[in-house]
Amino acid sequence: MVDLKEVTQAVGDLDENKLMEILNGFVSENPTEEEALKVVNACQNGMAIVGELFEKEEYFVGDLIFSGELLMEAIKILKPLIGSSSTAKVGSIVLGTAHGDIHDIGKNIFKSMSEAVGFKVYDLGIDQPVSAFVEKIKEVNPNIVGMSGVLTLALESMKETVDEIKRAGLKENVKIIIGGNPVTKEACNFIGADAFTTNAAEGVRICQGWVK
Amino acid sequence: MPDTKALQQERNSIYEDLFNNKIPKRVPINIGLPFEPIAQYGGLDLASAQWNPALVEEAADKICQVLFSDSCPFGGSIRYPSYYQSLESQSFVMGSNGFIQHPEVVGMLPEDYDYLIEKPYDCLLERVLPKQYKALKLDDPFIMAINFAKSIMAYQNDTMQAGMIIAKLKEKYGYYSGADRRSGGFTEAPFDFLADQLRGFREISMDVRRMPEKVAEACEALYPIVLKKGMPSAVDNNAAVFLPLHMPTFMREKDFAKLWWPSFKRMIDEYASMGIHCQLFCEDNWTRYLDYLYELPTDTRLMFEYGDPKLIKEKLGKKHIITGLYPVTMLKTHTKEQCLDKAREMLDVLAPGGKYFFSTDKNPLTIKDIKLENYCAVTEYIRDNGVYSNAGETAGLAFNRDDYKVDPSASRKLESKYYRTWENYKAQNPKVSDLGESKLQGFEEMIFQYLMFLLL
Repeated sequence: MVDLKEVTQAVGDLDENKLMEILNGFVSENPTEEEALKVVNACQNGMAIVGELFEKEEYFVGDLIFSGELLMEAIKILKPLIGSSSTAKVGSIVLGTAHGDIHDIGKNIFKSMSEAVGFKVYDLGIDQPVSAFVEKIKEVNPNIVGMSGVLTLALESMKETVDEIKRAGLKENVKIIIGGNPVTKEACNFIGADAFTTNAAEGVRICQGWVK
Repeated sequence: MPDTKALQQERNSIYEDLFNNKIPKRVPINIGLPFEPIAQYGGLDLASAQWNPALVEEAADKICQVLFSDSCPFGGSIRYPSYYQSLESQSFVMGSNGFIQHPEVVGMLPEDYDYLIEKPYDCLLERVLPKQYKALKLDDPFIMAINFAKSIMAYQNDTMQAGMIIAKLKEKYGYYSGADRRSGGFTEAPFDFLADQLRGFREISMDVRRMPEKVAEACEALYPIVLKKGMPSAVDNNAAVFLPLHMPTFMREKDFAKLWWPSFKRMIDEYASMGIHCQLFCEDNWTRYLDYLYELPTDTRLMFEYGDPKLIKEKLGKKHIITGLYPVTMLKTHTKEQCLDKAREMLDVLAPGGKYFFSTDKNPLTIKDIKLENYCAVTEYIRDNGVYSNAGETAGLAFNRDDYKVDPSASRKLESKYYRTWENYKAQNPKVSDLGESKLQGFEEMIFQYLMFLLL
């Protein structure tokens, strides 16, 4: 069995070579499913370190993107060992870029970070009409709806989306978080979301607080 | 209209002072509303109006009547669908609401680095452009030639239509006449050019960690291309080459210092050594890089999006010309009084000592992004209150091109079979008269400019 702390540290340090070396060594020893799940968990803990360093401004968005890639690679190596069982989901998020806006870098970072802490994420994609959010909420009954946008025009689209979620009687059961460059406290009030952030790590923490 | 002429003279003189380290009579107000909000203001359907830029003239004229600015508030667009669509662009596409936007795209694969480093311009034309522009069909040369010709003509047509409206409005309302048209330029830092349409935001973030040496070499390879892309054909102290700065705030300082800054700094110094100024849009929050910005040539124009105006003014205000920082989103989410308070704060902090002109932190994208009434109140407030009592005095440091020396042998030269100098051309066509130079070489330059514009 590998040193789990070392796995966590390699992810936290974004040390790709070291992480791959440990994981490939681990896989070659024919570990049990339970052991593999522990390693997955150690990787997720590493992502928490990445999030902390991001908030301390030691890491930046480029590093978050790289950490998402690193985690994906790690899961790819470990997946065959895990089989059908997977770690319990802490909650679910319907996520998408509001209509009129086709940007998704921030959304994708938030997605990989929230998946890393155990959320099930339903990613609708970019430029999503109001109806796509409403339909998906009806279908999967998520805990949280996340909306993203880079352009200032996305604020108006987010408001329309929230209004429609309310009109459809779905707001009672979900928390709504908005994120992206133009989002501010005032914009959040105007839109009627429950929380806002321009920082993916903070956004994940807010979501974790909601499903505790 | 003598009033208009007098107003234009006043405007020209406050900009002239701004750019020549003098305290102007009042703070110049530089408002630029993009094509989209103006079309919406005129009640035009955006998706169709963009196909005929001449349609917005009436709306642009109306904006000029209600919104005070010293520069013409209508600037046209650099992203019309005619040329992007005729090339089947992947990197500029229309969203569901008619807005042309730039999605995350990858135009160059990791295995292309070696070719980019060896023959940068060839790689851009042969590999990157056909990936981003599907109508540039490498296997169907005539279709490709026709598509390309159509696109470049559409570009000239649309740019000219918008240009004619701007010229008319400048005369009618006495806006700042601006510098010689040939003395401006538009380009990117070498690293940003690589990150933007070549590798994409996501992929470049991997490359910085996985192959930093290749990234550094690629920046060197791209240097002569982006330098030439921005190079004006005439030098004018009032003009500037515009560079939006994309990636630094998303990078660690360590990576920035090693990979982003060196080629960029050399480029700005090289322009300065020729007497050319740059206007940089420092996207996002540059607080942690202010000391780097201080090192740039005197009178570099810095437009900031976010950051502490006080700190920026303290650190940079004597050397550089500052603008931006006024949060455009306030114009929608706050009351008129709050917007005016913010305007007062901007003037209090940024105006003293000169080297400041007013603009918002970014342009509104749609007319719904702002309450026009608030915007009008803010610019009128700046006009009436941004008045200097010490006009004519010296403002901070003076620019001197001789302070900047760049060793030409430090940079690579643009060499490619796809770009011919007049000497090359003459060698192949010895009978050509030099009278043909301005025309043929002019077209050669125009095509280079357009091809690289497609990757900006």
